[in-house]
Amino acid sequence: MMGELIARNLLHRPLRTLIGVLAVGVEVALVVLIVGLTSGLLTETAKRIEGIGADIMLQPPAASIFLGFSGSPMPIKIAEKLTEIKYVQSVAPALLQFSSTGGVDVVYGIDPDSFRAVSSGFVFLEGHDMEGPNDLLVDDWAAKAKHIKVGDTFNLLNHDWHVAAIIEHGKGARLFVPLATLQDLVGAHDKASIFLIKCTRPEHTEDVMEEIRHVLPGYTVRPLKDFLSLMTSTNIPGLQAFIDAMIALAIAIGLLVIFLTMYTTVIERTRDIGVLKSLGATQPFIVRALLTESAVLCLCGIGAGVGLSYAVRAAFLAGFPTLSILITPGWILRAAGIALAGAIFGASYPAWMASRKDAVEALSYD
Amino acid sequence: MGIAATIREPAEGLIFLGKKSVDPILRTENLWKLYRAGKVEVPALRGVNFEVQPGESVAVMGPSGCGKSSLLYVIGGLAQASRGKVLVDGNDLTELSDAARTKLRRHKIGFVFQRFNLLPTLTAKGNIAIAQFIHGDGFDPHRFEVVTQMLGLAGRLHHKPSELSGGEQQRVAIARAIINEPKILLADEPTGNLDSKNSEVVLQMLRQLNKNLGQTVVMITHNPEATTYFDRVVHMRDGVIVDGVPAD
Repeated sequence: MMGELIARNLLHRPLRTLIGVLAVGVEVALVVLIVGLTSGLLTETAKRIEGIGADIMLQPPAASIFLGFSGSPMPIKIAEKLTEIKYVQSVAPALLQFSSTGGVDVVYGIDPDSFRAVSSGFVFLEGHDMEGPNDLLVDDWAAKAKHIKVGDTFNLLNHDWHVAAIIEHGKGARLFVPLATLQDLVGAHDKASIFLIKCTRPEHTEDVMEEIRHVLPGYTVRPLKDFLSLMTSTNIPGLQAFIDAMIALAIAIGLLVIFLTMYTTVIERTRDIGVLKSLGATQPFIVRALLTESAVLCLCGIGAGVGLSYAVRAAFLAGFPTLSILITPGWILRAAGIALAGAIFGASYPAWMASRKDAVEALSYD
Repeated sequence: MGIAATIREPAEGLIFLGKKSVDPILRTENLWKLYRAGKVEVPALRGVNFEVQPGESVAVMGPSGCGKSSLLYVIGGLAQASRGKVLVDGNDLTELSDAARTKLRRHKIGFVFQRFNLLPTLTAKGNIAIAQFIHGDGFDPHRFEVVTQMLGLAGRLHHKPSELSGGEQQRVAIARAIINEPKILLADEPTGNLDSKNSEVVLQMLRQLNKNLGQTVVMITHNPEATTYFDRVVHMRDGVIVDGVPAD
């Protein structure tokens, strides 16, 4: 009977119910998408860097784990010191440069031979390896997003490149150019942003890292197999605060709309509440009826929010193939919990107000 | 003391005793009800002494503003008395908490209002069934069928109030009021919003409930013709009972 009462009450004002459902849906979708976008980008970036296949990355002192953020490249001669260390099989320098041509990208300037030595090489889907100074390798996702084909001329960093190949994604960057050309373009002769190091055996990684710290004190040495664990929102200054603020904003939207919906519901049903009281409905009964109604509204909104999240993700990925939005069951559940708690909290005052109504006054309400 | 302990359960094997003098099912003693209008207290009831025997039907008559509705709300436990006593089936409402009065109302009182007061979102069936749900014994299909047949509602149960005539709505309201077999049925101007034909139908039904089932009925009205369906008529004026004579 309670179920029928709630269902009929919700259907009685379909537009108001729809607005409430949409508000909760937007709340849930905002939480899921904001978290999904940040964690998706971080995870995808980390996996790409892990996918290079090297064992160790060397960066300048106090460098960020977000490659390309560091502004002080290292002398390329460091590579010689590194190759002398026991258990080091190969070293590949790379110069990293931000590009904002048709989106934000980090371009890797590499020496094809040494990069191949540390990473076991690219998988070529189309075209051939770098042969000339203006050759550009593009991964398949970037090629799709930027509509690039092999043989095209592509302007990047105010320089016209010849697209030599489309390669499989997952090797650190989406765009690769010859190291020497990039050094000339950005005025960083004989400099590198990172050194990728391959050990003779993976189990020697710790020993090599220890030796690097000894040889190059103060430099940042990271094992690449743990890179994913380092790429979290808490490691980016302000990102976690931004996520928290967005979640709080989403909760506020849901809570206020639920509050308003239930408040107007209670005002509209003043006489009905008086009738229920005349039939012997207790205060807890009335509170329970309204909170359950709010919870049902919220559950519909959660369903809509999950659907909306997947729809928005599909739309974004269609428009921006290099984006990564990670929608996880854990965050769907968390977003649902947040929305439900907000709905119950938002409906609490209207429900309490309804339960406290004077029956006689309520019955004479017009 | 708990709520359960403050409300006497109905006696088993209650026999309809008609107008014989037994313990009244309803009694008020020097009942006052004051309303506050700003800083001024306005008395609606000024020491009402009133008794209703089990199985009796009583019409309370009087002009507008004489305190009829206040009396109904106080004896129905919807409003708290300011002074005096209200005894319903032996329970003094003035000593009960709001929650205890609610429980007593649920088990012993049925209300019929002038404006029907059906829940607009529910069907006729839902409006009757919700009273059973609140009562706590769940849906009783047998009782439901008996009541709806008796009130001629069988074909109208799946209609919403907006799809029913005034007379049908009031019959649904009566069904809702009696579905849980209350000790007292309180009717507040039940024919006030009906035409003469439907008024007669509703009054006949209230009389049948009283005569055939022994249902105690207290009705408020300002219509002298309506009082002819009742055993006794009580006149009120200025918040007091001015007489109490058997109707013709």
